[in-house]
Parts: sequence; structure tokens; C-alpha cells
Amino acid sequence: MIQHIDVHAVLQESVSGVYTDLVTRPTGRVVRERIERAMATSRDAVTVARIDFTGVGCIDYSCADEIVAKLLRDRRAVVVLSGISDGHREAIEPVLAGHGLAALIERRDGSGELEALGAPEAAAALLHELVARRLVVRTAVGTIALTLA
Amino acid sequence: MTRLVDVPAQFDDRSFEQFAGAYAEAAKDAERLLFDAHAAEWASPYGLVGLLAAGQAARGAGSPDRPLLTAPTHAEVLTYWTRAGFFREAAELFEIHGKLPRVKPAEQSDVLLPVTPVRAAEDVHAVVSNIQQRASAILASELGLDPKATMGFAMALSEACQNIVEHAGTGGWVAVQAYHWRRKLARRVVMIAVADAGVGFRHSLEPTQSKRFGARWSDAAALEAALFQGVSRFRDPGRGQGLAGIRRYLARWDGKIAIRSGTARIAIVPRWDDDVPLKDGLPAFPGAQVLIIIPEQGSTTP
Repeated sequence: MIQHIDVHAVLQESVSGVYTDLVTRPTGRVVRERIERAMATSRDAVTVARIDFTGVGCIDYSCADEIVAKLLRDRRAVVVLSGISDGHREAIEPVLAGHGLAALIERRDGSGELEALGAPEAAAALLHELVARRLVVRTAVGTIALTLA
Repeated sequence: MTRLVDVPAQFDDRSFEQFAGAYAEAAKDAERLLFDAHAAEWASPYGLVGLLAAGQAARGAGSPDRPLLTAPTHAEVLTYWTRAGFFREAAELFEIHGKLPRVKPAEQSDVLLPVTPVRAAEDVHAVVSNIQQRASAILASELGLDPKATMGFAMALSEACQNIVEHAGTGGWVAVQAYHWRRKLARRVVMIAVADAGVGFRHSLEPTQSKRFGARWSDAAALEAALFQGVSRFRDPGRGQGLAGIRRYLARWDGKIAIRSGTARIAIVPRWDDDVPLKDGLPAFPGAQVLIIIPEQGSTTP
């Protein structure tokens, strides 16, 4: 089963409810810690967490590092980022590349197709690993999709 | 005894060195300072936040009295400084002399963000939230930036403000304005100015970086390390992303960044500008002052 984490809701609980932007290190730290606590409640052997950024305005580099990079570095779960806008990518992609990390991103077209974002070598290794663990499959048309619902 | 610090008539990042020199000379003996802006004709956001930083430093420099400030006498200048939110912040730092007009800080104008204090992460949230709606129209329609660039602009602004929260050890100010920049480009620009009178880059980075540089350690070395090597005072490997992110954003939109701290100033100079990449041996001025300029897109040949 895929765990769904609504980052916008976590943000609203973490800082003043009027802000929709993921900015500053302290905010990133609080949001990540809440996400980690939520992920820790999973009883599945392998946790697959869909971290949904829908409704989040701006993400700055500090928050991209504090949330996305640190969640990936800890490798507690398979993380799939969803609801990622072009602006979000602008912050997340260079941060991941700088760390030599990669993340799975769910395309926003509703197809459920995935792509890997981040350092190219890490992206290739991530896809290889997840295919081997049968958590994702390569489709007939060459795209990638989660095996879990 | 009161020492005089002249505020340049045209107060921007260029004339700031003249101001910093006057400040360094006057602040030597911890007497009360008088900042004389009566003849001011124009000030950029950089000048305004820089003047506040000087007031902040003067308040903490030992004199029991607040520094004095004579307000500009030109009515238009006075009105602009008020609309830009300068006097709202200055009132806490200076004993102000001169009659101030009763106008509110700008809500609908080229002042995209009036002079705004930055003391904590919450302030950065407010700044980013406020700027996005107001900046998007200017960035897209007047500067010709892709609408997607608005989020990058907010990111750059956020990171610039966070330098204060994380490194200054005190509060600071940010201001954002769009205007027609006749001096260099004869086209519109958006300028972000951030200033504080905190510990500065050298002091902030000293515990983690000074050994590596040895005898070369200086304000200039600290600025180079921060801007070009992405070093941070924190040992967390993810630190130092902010300035690197700002650099990427500016490279994409042909923008400029200049950071002044202590006795040095470093800049990434786009081809439309003739600024100097690194200046050392400048008059000592506390804290850090950051200037970011994003020009109207198209040909930026000066």
C-alpha cells in the first residue's frame, strides 16, 4: 500500500496557516520531521510514500534540501514526489544533483507515469533498484509505473 | 560630541562606498552619529536598507543615545522614502529630524516590497508570500520574464533573506523595487536589496573556514568561499545551497549579484555591467549588504 502524505496540510499544521510556501530551513526541518513521523507509522515491509506537493506555492533551495534531499538520504522509504510544478522542480532538481541523489516524480498529467529526477547516474541506479525490487515496472511504451496501488 | 556622516545625494550601491567611508571615519571613537540626508535627491533600495544597517550599527556601537538622522528636504524624496517604508523602520533606530509626510508605505506601485524587517524565519515567509502576487505581473509583463520565473525570483529572495536569519546574528531589512535604470541599461530592472549590521561573512565562516585559508583569510576570501564555493558555517553537507541557487537563477536571467561584507565586495558581473568582480580594502562596514538586479529581457548590451 502506498502511504499518501499531503505536504500542504503538513505545512499548514507546522507554521502559520496563512502561508503556502515551503521556505526557510526551520520550516523545512519541522515539515520533514512530521513527514518522517507519518512514515514511521507504516506497518508495511517496504514503505512507499507518495509525498504530494499539490497546493504548495514556492519551494526554496533550503527547503528542497531539508525535506526532499534528507528524506532520500535517510532511505527509510521509497519516496515518490507528486504534485510537482515546474517551479518546484527548479528548486529540487539542482539540490538532488548536488547531493548525487535522485527521486521518483509522478507526472502531473494523471497518467500515473513516473520519471526520475536528479543526478543522472543516481536516477539510473534508482530505477534499476526499484525494478529489481518489483516496486516499479517498465511499461510496454517505455514509461515507468508503480506496481503498488 | 556628535560626528557627521553625509548621506550621498544619489545614494545607491556605487555611492555606498563614499557613505561607508564616512561612517567608518565617524564611528571610530564611539561618539553619537548624525546621518545627514537633508540633501538627498534619490536613493535606491540598496541605499535605504544600507542606511538602516548603519543606524543599527551606530545604536549598538557604544553611544547611549540613538543616532540622529536629518530627513531629506526635497518633498518628493521625502514622500518616496516614506512610501518605500524607510521611515517606519528608521523611527526605531534614529532620532529623526525633519517633517515627515503622512503617507502610507506603497501598496500599488513600483515598490514591490517596501523596506521590511527580517529577524526570523516567519518574516521570510511573510516576504515571500507578499512578493509573489505583486512581482509576477511586473516580472512577466514589464521585464519579459517567463511567468515561471516568478517562483525562482521568490526562491532567490527567500535565500537572500535567510542569510540574515541564519548568519547575521541580528535582524536586517529587505526591499524590492522595479524601476527604469537609465544609468546602465536604459531599461527596466527589478532590484532586491538586503542589508544587516550583523557579524558579516568573515566572522560567520571563521570557525569552519579560516584554517583552510590560513594567512589568506579575509573578508574577500570569506565572500569568495560563500559565493563561489558554496561553503557554509554549518557542517551539514546540504548547506550553502542558497547562494548557489541565486547564482543559477541570475545566470538564467542575465542578472547581477553583489555582496559587500566588512572591507570587501564581490560581484557576479553580467556583460551589461562594468562593475568590478572583487574589491578589497574598502572602508569597514558592519554586517552584509546584498544587491540583486534582474534586467528586462532582450538585448542587454549597455
